[in-house]
Amino acid sequence: MTRHPSRELAAYIDRQLPESWAGRIERHVAECTRCGNECDQIRAGMASLENLPMVEAPDGIWSAIERQLQARPSREPWRRWALAAALAVVIGLAYWGVGRRSGVRWEVVRLAGTPVVGSKPIEASGHIGAGEWIETNARSRAAVKIGEIGSVDVEPNTRVRVLVTRPSEHRLALVRGEIRAKISAPPRLFFVDTAAGTAVDLGCEYALQVDADGFGRLEVTKGWVLFQWKGLESLVPAGASCRTRPQAGPGIPYFDDAPENVKQALERYAFEKGGGDDLSVILAGARVRDTLTLWHLLSRVPVDERGRVYERMAALTPVPAGVSRDQALKLDAETLKRWREELAWTW
Amino acid sequence: MWRLGISACAVAALVLAEGFTFNIASPVAAQDFHAKGAAFVFRTQGCAEPAKAAISGAAEGIVKGERRSVALKIMMMGKPGVYAVYHEWPAEGDWVVNLKGTCADSIAGAIVPVGPKGFIRESSKFFPRPATDAEIDAALKALTTGGGK
Repeated sequence: MTRHPSRELAAYIDRQLPESWAGRIERHVAECTRCGNECDQIRAGMASLENLPMVEAPDGIWSAIERQLQARPSREPWRRWALAAALAVVIGLAYWGVGRRSGVRWEVVRLAGTPVVGSKPIEASGHIGAGEWIETNARSRAAVKIGEIGSVDVEPNTRVRVLVTRPSEHRLALVRGEIRAKISAPPRLFFVDTAAGTAVDLGCEYALQVDADGFGRLEVTKGWVLFQWKGLESLVPAGASCRTRPQAGPGIPYFDDAPENVKQALERYAFEKGGGDDLSVILAGARVRDTLTLWHLLSRVPVDERGRVYERMAALTPVPAGVSRDQALKLDAETLKRWREELAWTW
Repeated sequence: MWRLGISACAVAALVLAEGFTFNIASPVAAQDFHAKGAAFVFRTQGCAEPAKAAISGAAEGIVKGERRSVALKIMMMGKPGVYAVYHEWPAEGDWVVNLKGTCADSIAGAIVPVGPKGFIRESSKFFPRPATDAEIDAALKALTTGGGK
């Protein structure tokens, strides 16, 4: 073959060519870098198309096309181009509009019992879209495939709503029960709303529980989770947990292996108006890795208590260059970030 | 200019005085999404040019009474001098990770035991040289008898 078979490459990749012809192209592509690159591009394009969601066009679009087809062909080329452009815009808007409304539907697989999506029991597998609920009873469990980024196990006695299923935002609402999320995507693509705030995936695996009163617990097994509510943020790394409460947001994160008296004092301090005595218990019992807890406490204790927290942190592990006491006590965002990044090497 | 030179020398001296060594941590410390699945991460300390350090590692283990060794691909993270060690060794048996690094003329070594719940910071050992076979065997023995867990 002497010429580059650019026009036949798509048909070749799609196995539409006779065997002998395909064989000639195959030999050419094996030796021709240019055609090899073109093949790669075509394959990538085809893969992208296969991943596009199927959406129905609005009813009106077909009658509009028929009207245009029946109309007398124009002799003016610009009109044909204008028509084509308008049609492309209509199709694009229809695709965007319908796709936005219905979103992508995620696969739901029954793990035990009979989970329900909407009012429909799931026998083996089914699908769930934005706006729909999935509910399990005491004997049922289900797994939801979160687009292309991971999965969520819905544990017994759980009620979850799918809110958004866009590639740039995957969002659930956990009303009660427990979910276990395994996400393998860049940070901030997966969110779970609860009555106490929102769990933001920063690349992680975690369990999130919410009881009937909206009280919850976040337990992280891999990576980080950010739990936020009205400007209050708790960063929870692997091996750590955080309590959450409605109207109070996330509590102070703690490592699961922290001393019990520290965890109890923390619970009282964060949610039960605990005072200086509880703070003393926390500071005295904190180990080096409990600087996770102390770092969060620094911005949540009263101003006149910040010094105590700072001194304890400084006693547990050297304060890194670039972190000054003054700036830390003023809760300077850059200073606290710098310190947290350094402390993370002890967690 | 001479002040700048003296400052640079002082900084270099401080770095060298600290000694070339490793600092291990859980994957979150890397501040890098790609480290999420790692068994642990580590960073070089006391290395003036961390990007030029040569790092290697192997998992050394005992499986059903037999000594095993698995060469590891140590993954460099986005920040120079920060690396991730992934769980590339078999699930069964007891394993430690033997790390070795060279920075200019300095050498560092480390033995990091990895138990069922992850790496064990408290039992990890750091050396200003590569770990010896005897030290690796001792760490494995401690892990096997539960001393390192």
